This record gives sequence, C-alpha cells and structure tokens, in this order.
Amino acid sequence: MAELIQILVSGLAAGSIYALAAVGFTLLWQASQTINFAQGEFVMLPAFFVLVGMTVLGLPMWPAIGLGLVLSLLILGVAFKRLIVEPMLPHGTLPLVIATIALGLLLKESVKELYGATAQPFPAVFPQTVFNVAGASVSIQDIGNLVVSMLAIGGLQLFLNRTRTGRCMQASAQNPAVAEILGVNVKRMVMYTFLINAALATIASVLISPIYLAKFSNGETLGLVAFIAAIVGGFNQIRGALVGGLLIGVIDNLSALYISAEYRSAMPLILLIAIILLRPQGLLGTPEGRTV
Amino acid sequence: MNAPVLSVRNISKQFGGIRAVSDVSFDVHKGEILGLIGPNGSGKSTLFNCILGQLRPTTGHVEINGKPVDRVRPADLSLLGLGRTFQQLSVFPKMSVLDNIILAGQEHEGTMLSRLFGKPDAGLTGKAEQLIEFFRLTPYRDTPAGSLSYGQQKLVDAAMAFMAGPGIVLLDEPAGGVNLTMLTHLKERLMTYNIEHGTTFVVIEHNMEFVMSLCTRIIVLAQGEIIAEGKPEEIRANQMVIDAYLGG
Repeated sequence: MAELIQILVSGLAAGSIYALAAVGFTLLWQASQTINFAQGEFVMLPAFFVLVGMTVLGLPMWPAIGLGLVLSLLILGVAFKRLIVEPMLPHGTLPLVIATIALGLLLKESVKELYGATAQPFPAVFPQTVFNVAGASVSIQDIGNLVVSMLAIGGLQLFLNRTRTGRCMQASAQNPAVAEILGVNVKRMVMYTFLINAALATIASVLISPIYLAKFSNGETLGLVAFIAAIVGGFNQIRGALVGGLLIGVIDNLSALYISAEYRSAMPLILLIAIILLRPQGLLGTPEGRTV
Repeated sequence: MNAPVLSVRNISKQFGGIRAVSDVSFDVHKGEILGLIGPNGSGKSTLFNCILGQLRPTTGHVEINGKPVDRVRPADLSLLGLGRTFQQLSVFPKMSVLDNIILAGQEHEGTMLSRLFGKPDAGLTGKAEQLIEFFRLTPYRDTPAGSLSYGQQKLVDAAMAFMAGPGIVLLDEPAGGVNLTMLTHLKERLMTYNIEHGTTFVVIEHNMEFVMSLCTRIIVLAQGEIIAEGKPEEIRANQMVIDAYLGG
C-alpha cells in the first residue's frame, strides 16, 4: 500500500508536468491550428536559458528563472509565432507540422553544439526532503511540482473563463472571423496563446529539469508524452490535456512497478492506440466536424 | 422625411473585367425595414459586403448618419450603431447562449487591466437575459450554442446583433436553412423589435415570401443595377422584376 501511494504521488507529479506541455499543445491547436512538434524542445530549452543566466551572467536562481521566462516568452512565444507560424500557416497544417519538426531538431542540435551533450545539473526549486505518509516516502519536490502545475493550469482555466480577455481568446479560437467583426483583436488573442504556451513550457522546464537534469535530448520523450497526453485527454479540451497528462504519469510509474520497467515507455503508446480505436475524440474531448 | 440613417452613394464594384455592382445609390430611413433582393449574381452580396466594409468599392461610398465610413474597419462599425447577422452560422459553439450574447455586446477595447480584472460579464448579463427572453431562448440560456438547432442558432445570431443596441441592423439571409415554424417566429420577433425600438433593418434574402411579409420597402437588383424600388405589392406586380427572376 505504501509503495502504491509513493508511486501514485510521483506519477501524479510527473504527469502534472506532462500536462503543462500537453495543455500548450491544445492551446496552440485551438487558437491557430498549430500542432507544435517542437513542444518537447520548448520544455527543454528554458532550463538552458536559466543555466546561462546562472553560469554565464552569475545570476542567483530566481532572477535566472525570471530571465529564462522572459527569453522563452520572446523566443518560444513571439518569435515562434512571427517567424514560423504566421508565414507557414497559410500553406496549411502539414507544412507547419514539418516546420515545427525542423524547429525541434534545430533547437536540440543548437543546444548540443552551444552547451554540450552532457546532462547538466539543474538547481531544485523545492527542497529534496522526503516525509512519511502512511508508511510511504513522499518527497516535497513531488508535492511541490504537483501543486505548482495544478495552480498554473487552474489559473489558466480561471483566466480563460472568468476574464473578458479569456473569453475573447476562446471566441477567437472558436470562430475567428466573427470574433474579429465583433471587435475582438484576434491577432492579439492568438499572440497571448503563444505567450501562455511559452510560459507553461518554462514552468514545466524549471520543474522537470532538477529530476531529469538539463539535457539537449530531453524534449524527445517529453514532446511525445505530452502529445499523447493531449490526444488521450482530448485535443480540444484543456481539462482533457490535464487528465491525459496525469493519467500517463500514473500509468507510466505503475507499469514500471507492476508490469516491467522495460515496457514502461510502451504503455503510453498502447494507451494512445486504445484511445484512437475506442474513443478518437479523447477521454474528455468532443467530436469535431471539419469541412474539407 | 427625416435624414437617412444609412446612405449608399454611387457604389460600383469591379472584379477584373466584371462589374458586379454598378452605380447603386439609395437611402434608408429610421425605422424602415428595407429588403434587398435580386436573382443569383445580381450583385446584392457584393453590395452588402461594400456596406459592411468587407469589400472596398471601386467608386462611391457609404454614410451612416451622414458620416462617410469608407475608412472604418468592419469591427468598428458596431461603434457607429451598425449591427449585423451572418449568412453562415456565427455563434461561438462551445460557449453558452448567454456568453455568446454578452461577448457580442461587450466593448473589446479598454485597458488591459479592465479586461483582466473588470467584471467578466462587463455588466451585461441583465441586458443579455432580456434578449434571451425576447427571442424565447430562455430554456437554452446556459446551453452551448453549438448544440442548438440551426434555426435556434439564427435566433442567437440575431440576439447577438441587437446586443450592442444598434440603430441599424443588416440581416444577411436570415431565412436561409431555417424551417417554417422558426422562420415565422424569427419574422415576428424582428417586426416586434422594429416596432418597440425603432431599429432600422436592411435585409438581404432569397426567400421572397419572407421579404414580402417583413419589409416595408424593397429594392431589386439585377446585373448590378437597381431595376425596381417600392412597396412589396408594387414589387410583386413589377414586370421588370418578374422578367429578371424568370430570365426574361
């Protein structure tokens, strides 16, 4: 039982970080029909911005995280939208998908060239202490990661549902032509979405890098898992991405314990196949028709 | 007669070698329900889009309450008192009927702080609920608009157009795809709104019966030009109109 609690908590903690990246997937898709296959690299990169701030500029951890956030907003938010999505989107979804795959490779190889291929230690945001719950060892870091991720996603939901700007963002995603005629600044709303995605990626990066260390290749697994989480939960629902992320985090850890560590990474893929076959709109997603 | 609320002045629109609208002028006065009809390809949609600022006319201009609106963005026309409905469904499908109508009425400018920390409904829930009641959509207040029937969504669209309290509303094929029961309801609601609020309507429509029973005046376009103008009974008896529709 104690072991199960331990596995559940660490699964939820890891899953909540996957959820941050998965929510970014769904946001970009809804706002601009962008499937960002560089999303994993978007989570990998901010950790290196923080490390540059600390090692090159000599900044303490929190100012370095602030610097990482600003750079992420500018590069992964503004520049990504202006330089890649806007020019590519008129050519259709597929060219944009290919462009984001290329961007992912570029980011990965650039980090490898500029910062090296070895995994870099990353400062922990939470203390490494472990405490005992019903016989299970639970780390403050896991609880902290879970709480921060949930707060970020909950805050995003509140922002989208309870503010005028949030509603305008939803309107822009659901019917951009009409939103524009009603006076909504659709371009600005789409830009907000890209900025939010960059901010979520930064949070995910800062939370996950102390566990897996900062490495150029971290995005490969993260991007895939987040993509699967978004599909499993429902690509058109933020809460679907949340559920998908948590579910995959838990299944990943449970399968390592109860099935086999070797098949651990296969479990999310098996879940993905099952969902596509049985409920293609995802667990919480709604079916969407498209005119072709 | 009082000054026109909407004036179309010598509008022409050329697409390459094709003249879609040719030197069209007319005035619309407060409280009128003007129908704009014509056979397919007569230029009425082009003219409508020129009035709405979605197409720039080759020559001529449009005035709202005497002010030229050539350089006004389509999004800003609502600030000048011009509302519109859409030919295609225009609701936000995942939002509730109430949220759709509030969104249509809220001012989208304002400071970033007011849009983040101001009342999420911009204080418009009461007004939106009045319109929901007026269009008899109360049972669907909190229903996602996308799950309503086509005709009900047209009613939501109309309520959205009225939310900003416009003096003029342009209705783009309001009867298209709507069943007879819902159409009768829509027509009755529009006529009531016109009487109660004095709102001016310009209706572009294919459904002749709908136009003839709703409008107080009708303009008929054919090949980009006005070929007839008058009361519904005059239009019905006009030989040029009959010829235009029958291809004579």
